[in-house]
Amino acid sequence: MTTNVVISGFKRTAFQPAKKGAFAKMRSDDLAAAVLKDLVKSSGLKASDVEDVMLGCAFPEAEQGFNVARLVVNLSELPISVGGVTVNRFCGSSMSTIHFAAGQIMAGAGDVYIAGGLESMTRVPMTGFNPMPNPKLAADYPQAYIGMGETAENLANKYKIDRKSQDEFAVKSHEKAAAAAKAGKFKDEITPVETADGVVDSDGTIRPDTTMEGLAGLKPAFDEKGSVTAGTSSPLTDGAAACIVCSEDYAKKNNLEILARIRGMAVSGCEAEIMGIGPVQASKKALERAGLKLSDMDVIELNEAFAAQSLAVIEEMGIDQSKLNLDGGAIALGHPLGVSGVRITCKAASIMKREGKKYALATMCIGGGQGIATVLEAV
Amino acid sequence: MTKGIKKVCVIGSGVMGSGIAAQVANAGHDVLLLDIVPKDAENRNMLAEGAIAKMLKTDPAPLMHKRNAKRITPGNVEDDLEKIKDCDWIIEVVLENLDIKKSLYEKLEKHRTDGTYVSSNTSSIPLEQLVEGRSADFTKNFMITHFFNPPRYLRLLELVTGDKTDPKAVSVVRDFCDRKLGKGVVVCHDTPGFIANRIGAFWLQAGVNEAFDLGLSVEEADAVMSRPVGIPKTGVFGLIDLVGLDLMPHLSKSLLSNLPKSDAYHAIYKEYDLINKLIETGYTGRKGKGGFYRLNTEGGQRVKESIGLVTGEYEESKKAKPAAVDAAKDGGIRALVTHDDKTGQYAWNVLSQMLSYAASLVGEIADNVYDIDRAMKLGYNFKKGPFELIDEMGAGWFAEQLKSHNMDVPEIVTKAGAADGFYKVEDGQKKYFGRDGKYHDIPRDDGVILLEDIKLTTKPVKKNSSAALWDIGDGVLCLEFCGKMNALDDKVMFMIYEAIGQIGDGSGDYKALVVYNEGSNFSVGANLGLALFALNVGMYEAVDGLVQLGQDAYKTLKYAPFPVVSAPSGMALGGGCEILLHSDAVQAHAETYTGLVEVGVGLIPGWGGCKEMLKRHHKFGKFKGPMAHVSAAFEQIGLAKVAKSADEARDMMILLKDDEITMNRDRLLADAKAKALELAKDYGAPEPAEIPLPGPTAQVALNMAVADLNKSGKATDYDVVVSKALANVLSGGDKADMTEPLTEDRILELEAEEFKGLIRNKGTVKRIEHMMETGKPLRN
Repeated sequence: MTTNVVISGFKRTAFQPAKKGAFAKMRSDDLAAAVLKDLVKSSGLKASDVEDVMLGCAFPEAEQGFNVARLVVNLSELPISVGGVTVNRFCGSSMSTIHFAAGQIMAGAGDVYIAGGLESMTRVPMTGFNPMPNPKLAADYPQAYIGMGETAENLANKYKIDRKSQDEFAVKSHEKAAAAAKAGKFKDEITPVETADGVVDSDGTIRPDTTMEGLAGLKPAFDEKGSVTAGTSSPLTDGAAACIVCSEDYAKKNNLEILARIRGMAVSGCEAEIMGIGPVQASKKALERAGLKLSDMDVIELNEAFAAQSLAVIEEMGIDQSKLNLDGGAIALGHPLGVSGVRITCKAASIMKREGKKYALATMCIGGGQGIATVLEAV
Repeated sequence: MTKGIKKVCVIGSGVMGSGIAAQVANAGHDVLLLDIVPKDAENRNMLAEGAIAKMLKTDPAPLMHKRNAKRITPGNVEDDLEKIKDCDWIIEVVLENLDIKKSLYEKLEKHRTDGTYVSSNTSSIPLEQLVEGRSADFTKNFMITHFFNPPRYLRLLELVTGDKTDPKAVSVVRDFCDRKLGKGVVVCHDTPGFIANRIGAFWLQAGVNEAFDLGLSVEEADAVMSRPVGIPKTGVFGLIDLVGLDLMPHLSKSLLSNLPKSDAYHAIYKEYDLINKLIETGYTGRKGKGGFYRLNTEGGQRVKESIGLVTGEYEESKKAKPAAVDAAKDGGIRALVTHDDKTGQYAWNVLSQMLSYAASLVGEIADNVYDIDRAMKLGYNFKKGPFELIDEMGAGWFAEQLKSHNMDVPEIVTKAGAADGFYKVEDGQKKYFGRDGKYHDIPRDDGVILLEDIKLTTKPVKKNSSAALWDIGDGVLCLEFCGKMNALDDKVMFMIYEAIGQIGDGSGDYKALVVYNEGSNFSVGANLGLALFALNVGMYEAVDGLVQLGQDAYKTLKYAPFPVVSAPSGMALGGGCEILLHSDAVQAHAETYTGLVEVGVGLIPGWGGCKEMLKRHHKFGKFKGPMAHVSAAFEQIGLAKVAKSADEARDMMILLKDDEITMNRDRLLADAKAKALELAKDYGAPEPAEIPLPGPTAQVALNMAVADLNKSGKATDYDVVVSKALANVLSGGDKADMTEPLTEDRILELEAEEFKGLIRNKGTVKRIEHMMETGKPLRN
């Protein structure tokens, strides 16, 4: 790559369960604005240097409508000269904002970007308010609109992933997240948010008391004969996140703390009915572009849309689970669709830095049949 | 100046207190709910707060809408008594203990504003003792208001006043209870147990005694002492289970200690080892492990069991078919009580004792027989009060029977027997037999209009076996459904056309129509029995014709040049809901349970219900957009949602902004009539609407959602078929596009088309059959 691009500074709100969580009455643009203000302040970034704010959102309508990224620029009181663009690639939305920002920097179109995402799954439903599928496509290729739960069932069947392994995976995710929370490992990344009921600064999604017995009692959520339950799916979640993407030169010149250098990026389409397998091809492409192998990776963040989906990817790629999702994954932390990409990419970067490792991979699946991946390198 | 009632304070947040507070909140008034501070409590409001939390979970719900909970402010009697200065009525619902009540009243004196009404919900302590030592202003404004549990659902309110109670205060409180709380207020004398519990406790005791003595099973006893005599199906033992076995001794003890030894209740009172043992072992009734009946879930199955009164062991419950009940089907209540077996004896023994007892109390517990009958009907849900029951047998005949059984004949029974019974109609006026031996007009509260009364003075304008038209005065015509269960059929539709013809352009004898009846349910919808018969013999066109007839009748009614006000109470389902949707206004009784439930029998609304719901959600829906109204209507109809109160029906847009709610059932017709007259003043028929619908894209979206539900086991295979038909109607059909709004007529066509398809499907026929046989929807 011509220009080295780095990720510097990462902030997110606490993740709160949709509808019953502490952000049920918060607009997601306000959440994003709180994160951006904190990010600028804590990093010491000179706001007027920012070229553009790119925010991912999977259902950019209603309170997340208009061009919400530009409105978040206004809400966070960034200089009027800063641009704003909303990006939608469903679950991959905000990882794409990192890629797009990096691409722009490499193309010489600016030095500093803010990449992030926002999603209130409480206030904008997962189908949007007016789902209107194309009847012709629905007839010819119905899986284009397939429900996510069904894709997880398909992978469970294809890879023969039984209920017990899924439950074990979910318990582990909660254990890791609970341990990380207890050890204060989320403290630096979380922006405290003022709500009507007080300040919210810890994740409301983690259930440290999750047990195999408890999970075993749950009924299948999507297919009565299937194996995927609410307990082995990522919960509907409200939240926002953002990071600084800039040239390595700029970061060094301005004394910004560097989390990681971006070494490889890729997206790849796959069959919609097994969208969860998307990370396999995307990771392969990103690693190739970085000139690295999976075995070179010290830290891996794989978004846990579903336990069945994660286990299928793990098996297909041969991922060493001791490197995986060390601070817990989306099953425990939650999956605000347009936000998770920035969270896992920056999580991979910060774990790598914290543990003194060299390479990291962040990858995730995307509804409709895609995968996206980023390869990072310590600086 | 007499004080009006705005804010109410309820002290005591137990079952009764919280139920009363909920009903006041249902009436739209703010309530301060106070209770004691439990020892060492960290949260000093924990009792009242807990009561409010419980209200939101209790079923049947004490609140008519969850938001009403916000009208109730919790507090405690140690920190918050000064807040009662802003309350206009304080209802005390604390423990039945004179000292506790008196010491509370003493504290209330310090904080209450002069003129604030105070009442006690006591069921046993004489008013005179309660006001002892109180100030003149307190005494003047004090009375007993005795509610029945659950306060939202049981309509009786027994009102007791003292010599010193200010009549103006009584009138304000009474009016509030009547109009706002929807209560049937019965004035009682200040005697133990007042009316309903005095007679009720005696009846239950007699019912238990005789079952033990005659060796009846609880099923046999309850089968006799229920429907055949117009008493709810719980009978004696089922009712004790419902009330709680452990509560019965409290009621008895309070009565026994306050009633003179000469009272007949002392003579029949008996304790049973079996019942005491049940209470001790936690079998306190439905709220406990079970009572006389229980559901045994051991071994994974739900088996209904009952206790053997002789064996004291639970056995599988056997449905009783007493011979006396069979006899009563043709021969009425006389045949029941004279049937020559132990079930007939049981009927006679229990009824003769209870009715004689009631008759012996006229004058003592209430002024007249009418008040006693009314109290039993409103408080114990009897279809007929004791004196109406005697009249049904014949008062003279009953007196003779008592004599032949060597029982005392109460004087008033002898006298009424010699006259025309306890009730008669004279010159179109219903009258009751007074203690003075004369007949007196049945009193009606100010402004109450009842069809029951109108029917005594006039003949119907038109009538057939399913519906009738009545002149209810001032140019208003009333359409009454009167078929079995108020089911809707072609005859009802003809009567709608008849009404349209009678009223014409409103310039003749009539200018408005009210749709109203006094059945326990407004209407549970179309006559399914009739439809099923036609479908079974392949007469599909007959059912198609009824769909067309209903659509046309409702549509013509809607656009007729006069106002139509529907006034439902109880269930208004399916076609019964659709007529509300086609009215200019709805004046609903608060206890209205309404919804479009057609999918439960494999159908979709076919008389314009789909069209109206689309229109309403499009015009008034919370969310906007090309799919928003379609999704909202689909969810509501597809899940057969039913509002559990008139207030909830607003959320479902069955009631709209200008529609109103009447709390007191007896005032419904008067309110509906007033509304109709108001609308008639300057009436113009509504303009038909055009509704934008998205067409095929909407079908795809809705069908995908249902497919997911089917996969996850939340929708059955036949649900998918019915939903598809519904989706086709609500999307506007294959050719619709959001840029070209559809006419109402086009949507009606779609409704009819899809309806016709469904009735020709075996799955629908199976659903209808199952509903007719079991009363429950089939999940095929």
